[in-house]
Amino acid sequence: MYILEMNHVSKSFPGVKALDDVTLQVKPGTVHALMGENGAGKSTLMKCLFGLYTMDEGDISFHGEPVKIDSVKEALQLGISMIHQELHLIPYRSVMENIWLGRFPRKGGAKSPFIDHATMYDMTEKLLAELNLTTIKPTDLLRTLSVSKAQSVEIAKAVSYDSKIIIMDEPSSSLTENEVEHLFTIIRSLKARGVAIIYISHKMEEILKISDEVSIMRDGKYVGTWEAKELTTAMIIKRMVGRDLTNRFPPRKSNPGSELLRIDNYTSPNPRSFKNVSLTLRKGEILGIGGLVGSQRTEVMEAVFGLRLHSEGKLYIEGEEKTCNNPYEGKKLGMALLTEERRATGIFPVLSVQDNLLIANISSYIKRNRLLNVSKMAADSKKSIKDLDIKTPSAKTLIKSLSGGNQQKVLIARWMLTTPDILILDEPTRGIDVGAKYEIYVIMSELAAQGKGVIMISSEMPELIGMTDRIVVMSEGRVAGTVDSKNTNQEEIMELATKYVG
Amino acid sequence: MRKVFVVLCLALVIATPVFAQGKAEAGTVTIGSAIYKFDDTFMTGVKNAIVAAAAETSDAKVDVVDSMNIQATQNEKVDLFITKGVNAMQINPVDRSAAGVIIDKAKKANIPVVFFNREPFAEDMAKWDKIYYVGAKAEESGTMSGQIIADYWKANKAKMDTNGDGVLQYVMLKGEPGHQDAELRTEYSIKCLTDNGIKVEKIAEDTGMWDRVKGQEKMAAFIASQGDKIEAVFANNDDMALGAIEALKAAGYFKDGKFMPVVGVDATAPALQALEEGTLLGTVLNDAVNQGRATFMLSYDLAKGKTPTSESIGYTITDGKYVWVPYQQVTKENYKQFK
Amino acid sequence: MSANSLAYTLLGKRTAKQFVMDKAIFLVLLLLVIVIAIINPRILSIRVMRDVLMMSSTKVIMALGMMFVILTGGVDLGGGRTVGLAAVISASMLQTPDYVRRFYPGLGQIPILVPIMIAVAAGTLFGIINGLIVAKFKVPAFIATLSSMLIIYGANSIYFNMAPNNSQPIGGLRSDFTYLGSGSIGFMPVIIIFAAVVSVIVWIILNKTVFGKNVYAVGGNPEAAAVSGINITKTLVGLFGLCGFLIALSGVLEAARTGGATNNYGSGYELDAIASCVVGGVSTTGGVGTVSGVIAGVIIFSFINYGLTFVGVNPYWQNIIKGLIIVSAVSFDIRKYVKKN
Repeated sequence: MYILEMNHVSKSFPGVKALDDVTLQVKPGTVHALMGENGAGKSTLMKCLFGLYTMDEGDISFHGEPVKIDSVKEALQLGISMIHQELHLIPYRSVMENIWLGRFPRKGGAKSPFIDHATMYDMTEKLLAELNLTTIKPTDLLRTLSVSKAQSVEIAKAVSYDSKIIIMDEPSSSLTENEVEHLFTIIRSLKARGVAIIYISHKMEEILKISDEVSIMRDGKYVGTWEAKELTTAMIIKRMVGRDLTNRFPPRKSNPGSELLRIDNYTSPNPRSFKNVSLTLRKGEILGIGGLVGSQRTEVMEAVFGLRLHSEGKLYIEGEEKTCNNPYEGKKLGMALLTEERRATGIFPVLSVQDNLLIANISSYIKRNRLLNVSKMAADSKKSIKDLDIKTPSAKTLIKSLSGGNQQKVLIARWMLTTPDILILDEPTRGIDVGAKYEIYVIMSELAAQGKGVIMISSEMPELIGMTDRIVVMSEGRVAGTVDSKNTNQEEIMELATKYVG
Repeated sequence: MRKVFVVLCLALVIATPVFAQGKAEAGTVTIGSAIYKFDDTFMTGVKNAIVAAAAETSDAKVDVVDSMNIQATQNEKVDLFITKGVNAMQINPVDRSAAGVIIDKAKKANIPVVFFNREPFAEDMAKWDKIYYVGAKAEESGTMSGQIIADYWKANKAKMDTNGDGVLQYVMLKGEPGHQDAELRTEYSIKCLTDNGIKVEKIAEDTGMWDRVKGQEKMAAFIASQGDKIEAVFANNDDMALGAIEALKAAGYFKDGKFMPVVGVDATAPALQALEEGTLLGTVLNDAVNQGRATFMLSYDLAKGKTPTSESIGYTITDGKYVWVPYQQVTKENYKQFK
Repeated sequence: MSANSLAYTLLGKRTAKQFVMDKAIFLVLLLLVIVIAIINPRILSIRVMRDVLMMSSTKVIMALGMMFVILTGGVDLGGGRTVGLAAVISASMLQTPDYVRRFYPGLGQIPILVPIMIAVAAGTLFGIINGLIVAKFKVPAFIATLSSMLIIYGANSIYFNMAPNNSQPIGGLRSDFTYLGSGSIGFMPVIIIFAAVVSVIVWIILNKTVFGKNVYAVGGNPEAAAVSGINITKTLVGLFGLCGFLIALSGVLEAARTGGATNNYGSGYELDAIASCVVGGVSTTGGVGTVSGVIAGVIIFSFINYGLTFVGVNPYWQNIIKGLIIVSAVSFDIRKYVKKN
């Protein structure tokens, strides 16, 4: 009956139970949507299935047979493939090499060392034609393809494995509407061949349109599985969130003051990036930036902070024109940016909590004798830990041993120590458990109440609507509109987010 | 657990020489010997001579270590010798100006020192009476290689002065720039020519870093750029000279009567072979065997607490602390005796 | 950097400026040739070309070996010492019977291939060991080969110091052996033919075989390679082994070319090889590099070496000029890949 059953799956990481007794049953020839908030455990579950993680507990059966999947190779051999959120492609190699990597056709038998380029070309051409991806040539170098085409290559690769199950982790996140429609055509033809698709996405409409069944997860636990046609967007959200939306955010009195930051007509030298972006942030305001992944939200904010170039546009701080060409200048203008990739560009994993807290502000601890004021450093880090309720054994603990939420609080504390007037938070609650999220919301509210300006980029609609005063929605690098958070809903934002798509 | 294992291993490695030392029989003298670096062909010859001379005695043990061409490493080795309580030391300094520090250490520990091959400054040598030096006068090697060319020039002037201008046009392949031997050999080989009343002109000079491959490549470039103008090739050592000969062969020399006088220094085995073949004109023997032997004999006496004399060691001691081992000219006439 | 901007960076628009940047190193070479030719026009001769190509031959073979390791983002610091090892092993068994100071006095006339194969096998073995250490223990190639640099040199010195040789330079090599290094067929030196054949074979391996593609994949994106089910250990061991093989082969030819060998042969060659690869466009971050680029890099380097001596530049200045060329080549190269906007 089921092609895949995962029963009683549990998986823990230091400090967090990522999966707790999760069940997933998938029928052949169906699209099975897997839903849940960020951090609900969807990706972890899929990585267990794909052999990237080892489950602590639980079992998997495939075609009714119990199987053990310890490596990617085993998963691929069974007929399970995965399209990742972050593309796994080799930039300086051709499309066909990327697709057949690890399984090149050989001249004269499977043992021959020589690649049969002609056959590989034909196979690739046929595969791409089947998927209607005729604009991609087998010999194109990956680096010359757009992101959506690269993703199509990744899908073609998964299809080429003759897979019985294809896991698609946010496959549509960087695709245009036409491309999504194209993707759905591919998915339908795969379904017709009896392939099961596990489809992970946050986009409700897409889910309801393409999927047959929907499984929902929350906080690492399995909530249930329903027929897609029985569900509505509201029902899904309710089951994903599991409680009333009002409780998720701290109450805050919003009282925006005078203009703090304004950017006017910001345009990137890169024609694919942001253009003509203007927005205003007021004192005591929390401004949300919404939009799809790839709508250049991050890029605009990094440009404001000086991390990225802009070819046109003006920056005003409290009405005065300023320039900001690098993060150092950004810092001097009273800005702080909490980057999106916490692990890659935020924390210094092998340094202590204290070092991580003070790194952006270290020059203020230099004494007259050019040495560091160690006692003041210790006192300040202790105070930060207490103020933000960072759960750490001590200030000397290495930050890598803290949970994601506490790491994030350390980063926020780091920038608060520089006493910024403008705090830009890029996906501040991504991958953080619900409790810690609430605490971060509280911190944001307090900062706004002190008269600081906060900009929050987020992919989570409820968070955007619940926490901010206004939301600037971006679409394809442009501002699609600005909405008042009290009088908006997800549909309106989604509509704006897709305004220039396609 | 793993750390404990590593520490144990390290302790064992460090302790081994100490244990070995402890096992030395009573009445045996131990001599610590530090070579500036092991991968020097000539010094290996000296080292082998020292070890061979020690083997002839029944009551001396020489502990030879590599200073890896780093003075700091050598100083550490000296400290180690002092800690182990050797009876005498033989030091081949990495940097001759560092000898003063070593002498101070040795004097404090009352361990006599024989320096060899690289001569400390006279004022350092004067610091203590139990300091000796064995070596050759570096300039002598330059002078001798110059003399070989001078003799050849005088005998074959018509043939050698290809452009007939009466001036000797030469190219110079130097060793490592700044190296004492390289500078002295370069200077004195040419000085010897001018002292002989020969007019010279340097048409090219570059460093071959004592290396055969580089000698060959630099010479190839000299030939391409200077062509027939070259009338003689000086190389600061044999390896570079042999490299130059390979390049000359490739350019058509050493056959059909086309000849180029090439001189080197060291008289290595391949150089002697080249002398026999008639490609190398001459070389100069830096007498590794006698340098090593004299170094050992001096330190052997000192280790036994005796005051060495010319008679007891078999080499002449000058000024109470110097043993000069002469260089020897090696040419087609006499090469057989060095084989 | 987000996926979008990465795509843009990688895509870029080819402009005249970028073309100049892409080919900067060749322009530098051209400039150098012009300057040297003005000083001494004799540089523009067949003889010089032949000299430079001969000098490049052994270095091309070595640099191609080095390229395999650099393609995976590592370096082989033991390369130079492997040259020395292979040179000494092959030379020690290929001396003429009448030479006085023979390494093996009693050794008869053995087939020339035997010592060569022993020497090359030794290099390959050390390469394989490096590969295993890198793949199995996840030791960075830099560290693994730093250790093998010391070990190979130590082992070679012990061998070289064996009685009756006692660290004397090995000379008196058989003429059938030196023919490989200095002989020629017609006007064409044998050693250049060697280098050409090796280059073609390496090109085939990299472009026509599964192994070659896997090397690029493991170097370009190890995670993607793993996810595609490529045996990374096997690939790494293979490429390090091949690196050892090629470098040892260059060592054997170096002995044949110079007609001698000492344990100090090849000292510092690894740095020249790395520099040549980098100048020839092999990216030190891995995954990018071509045979033709490496050949160009080596020839440029040989030409710089040769040319500076040719016009008689002071040795100290030669080092400064070489250093400047490397650093400028690499900075241009890196700009091609990591420009962020």
